[in-house]
Amino acid sequence: MTDTSHGSTGDRRAFLRGAAGGTALGALGMMGAYSYSPLRHAHFAKDENEKADIGAVRSLKVTNISETSWFNNADLIGDIRGAGGLLVNQYRFNWPPFANKNGKLAEGSYADGIKHIKDDLPNNLERAWAFQMENAVHPENAGGYAALLEIELRDGSTKKILLDSGWSYDWIDKSFQREGIDKMLANGEIDALVISHEHFDHFWGFPVTMKYAPEIDVYVPEGFYEEGFQYVKDSGHRGALHVLKPGLTQMFDGVAIYNFAIPIITRVYGENSLYVNVEGKGLVSVTGCCHQGIIRFAETALQEIQMEKLYGIYGGLHISPFDDWDPKYDDLVFTLGDYGFEKIGANHCTGLLTVKKFVARGLPVVQGTARFGSKDPVYLGNGDQIGFGVDVALMSPASAHLSGSAGAPATGGDDGSVKGATY
Amino acid sequence: MQSEPMERYGEGYLEERNLVQRWPSPIPQILNLVLLAGLFYATWWIFQDPRGWLRMYTPYVGYMYCRWLLIIFIWMVYIFNFWPFRRAWLERTHPLIKAVVLTSVAVVIMVLVIKGFFEGLLGSYAMAYFSPSEMQKLGITDFFAEEYAALAILMFAALASWLSPAWVVGMENAPWQRERQPVRGITILLVTFFLATIIFFMTMHPHMGILYEQWQSFAAIAPPWWHEFADTVSGNFHVSWIMCCTVVVWLVETIWERYPFRLIRHDWLRRCATFFGIIAIAVCCHFFLYFAQELWWGEAVRGTRRLFAPDWRWLHVGEMMIFYLLPALVITFYFNNWPRKGSPTSRILIRTLVALLAAVVLYWLYYNTSHLFLGTQKGFSHPQQFPMIPTIWMINIMLINHWFMDNWPGWKIAPATRTVPGDAAKTGAAPSMQAAE
Repeated sequence: MTDTSHGSTGDRRAFLRGAAGGTALGALGMMGAYSYSPLRHAHFAKDENEKADIGAVRSLKVTNISETSWFNNADLIGDIRGAGGLLVNQYRFNWPPFANKNGKLAEGSYADGIKHIKDDLPNNLERAWAFQMENAVHPENAGGYAALLEIELRDGSTKKILLDSGWSYDWIDKSFQREGIDKMLANGEIDALVISHEHFDHFWGFPVTMKYAPEIDVYVPEGFYEEGFQYVKDSGHRGALHVLKPGLTQMFDGVAIYNFAIPIITRVYGENSLYVNVEGKGLVSVTGCCHQGIIRFAETALQEIQMEKLYGIYGGLHISPFDDWDPKYDDLVFTLGDYGFEKIGANHCTGLLTVKKFVARGLPVVQGTARFGSKDPVYLGNGDQIGFGVDVALMSPASAHLSGSAGAPATGGDDGSVKGATY
Repeated sequence: MQSEPMERYGEGYLEERNLVQRWPSPIPQILNLVLLAGLFYATWWIFQDPRGWLRMYTPYVGYMYCRWLLIIFIWMVYIFNFWPFRRAWLERTHPLIKAVVLTSVAVVIMVLVIKGFFEGLLGSYAMAYFSPSEMQKLGITDFFAEEYAALAILMFAALASWLSPAWVVGMENAPWQRERQPVRGITILLVTFFLATIIFFMTMHPHMGILYEQWQSFAAIAPPWWHEFADTVSGNFHVSWIMCCTVVVWLVETIWERYPFRLIRHDWLRRCATFFGIIAIAVCCHFFLYFAQELWWGEAVRGTRRLFAPDWRWLHVGEMMIFYLLPALVITFYFNNWPRKGSPTSRILIRTLVALLAAVVLYWLYYNTSHLFLGTQKGFSHPQQFPMIPTIWMINIMLINHWFMDNWPGWKIAPATRTVPGDAAKTGAAPSMQAAE
């Protein structure tokens, strides 16, 4: 009897354990099945937030001062690899303009570098750069990114914004001179310098702008590191410094900056991008590198800003800056067309391969002239212009006469497709 | 006729060793965890940290070595039962010497596998994407050639670190459980490696096939077959469920004590239910944790990057799971699989909830501090933010301590429980994660 009793108790226990285990597994299974079923979309009802009215402008013209941040991918990536990878602090590389006398890769620092050039900033940049040419790691590889935005407001006046100040003092100063930016800065024609992010190729040429306009209003994203703020001071800036918090900040009628709080390689954080709302056309996205991703940028605009539609793009989209690839980039190539952009002026860190894939997929890419260091006419090159709400010549007036041999936009293959792209 | 005593290696060693604390709790626990944390940080600085010495956290090169070290440990202990090291040596050698010897052996095997088998053999004579030098010849920049090859090689390790222990835990080494070492080890190694190869070709090979221009459409399905369902062409979709499988294997083995599957009495039914049940639980976690991210951050948007990108969300499922594994192993290795009393259901439930809570705390701590002391990237979603590397690095160190060092210095093997060579080698019992007392 006792044995039987124990046996039935044991059976009941086993049954209960089995039932509990089975129920738990069944619940987990149901949860898993529901989690990826179409039913889950009911949880994502879009909140209709009140969208910001940033106003509108009549037109926007962008002149590409320089999209060539460096000249040799292998050298740049070789340095990054040698220094320990993409997470190494950019001020450690011993790249110009922060070379120390040691000149060894990955053994530099801001403090060690700036002491050699501080006295030369911003008025003796030639001497400061000469020191770099002697001591820095790959000083000849430095270029830089900068663009001029000319915005015609609805009242007929014009605002000019300089987006970024490049990297090499020598390269960016010559680029400024080529496009007449030096004179515009000196004459006070440029209203503001917007630094998109702290990266070497966008920010380290800061003293060149200070050389011509030390009192200019400067906008940087919150997320700048201590070295970056010190460099602004050490470069001789005497004007207002606006540190933008994450989110939308109106600049003036029709123009706003959005700071995306995002981590970026080589220990950089946060990126400013611009929204320009062109009357009768739609919203134009202007970016330095767009580390947040162009789709995120577009989705943010659709959720937060009043507009007719998404209209245009200018700038780097940071897809394959080193001619590298990852299959996830193909997701962008598949989907960018769904957003209805009518004019895409993507260059710089977008990467040649990405733009070739855009073109092969039929996206409205504005092609360029491949002058002044730009490698390929598949995208807008140095000295090229693009207009949104206004027709402009492909070559900037200031540079057109300098490029008699510059070719027209090439299309590559016999059928008009661009060679080297899959789609 | 008297038979020759059978040579005994490490079969049953983990189950039979009686680990006793040298001091009352919580001194051994605190001592070991502080020492492990110190060892973790020192080795992280030497090998991985982008500010440190060798700076292997590129991230894929460091990740590849980290994953392969893990799977070699699993092979040595779970598949080969420490063969060719003898039981007597395991019992009598000082834990520090064992750690140095066994870890050195693992490193040598790892280098042979990576440099010899993948880069040298497969990379030179089968698929160029396993070999950095072959890709460099094709014009890929050195840095990316190394990263791409590391990605392909580490994915094999990811698959093996699910399948190899799953065969031991789920299939109970069947049908080779009665074979002696090294026959059993070699057989299971080959079988699981074969399965890993098939799954690699169906999951990561199409990912590698569209990594290069032109798409390798004649050699791999392009775009990959899963891209509409997963909302991405990226192989991270598979990384997600494979990582879930890897973690669930260890959960079943440690804090779940192989419940509920052990209740099934029929051998083959239990084995199949365990092996495929682990996969089913993992797939549920795979979808549920993706959904949880959608609820927390918003719906994923295909084509975008970072936090909202489907490919990153899938990857992050795997990352979340590995945060769960770490406290589960700590509970088993250093807290005697607490609680030991009560019904299995209540014990498992408590452990599961404690590990879950600890995982949430660990997750929060990691993303708020790791960029300060590990040199990783700030934020959640940057491609250079790879929490699987430090967590698996830590797991490797814990495995060295638990498997090779008998939890030294906080624990020791009770001398009275030491065994002598005997017939236990015949049993072929599957090893299990022995909780320290």
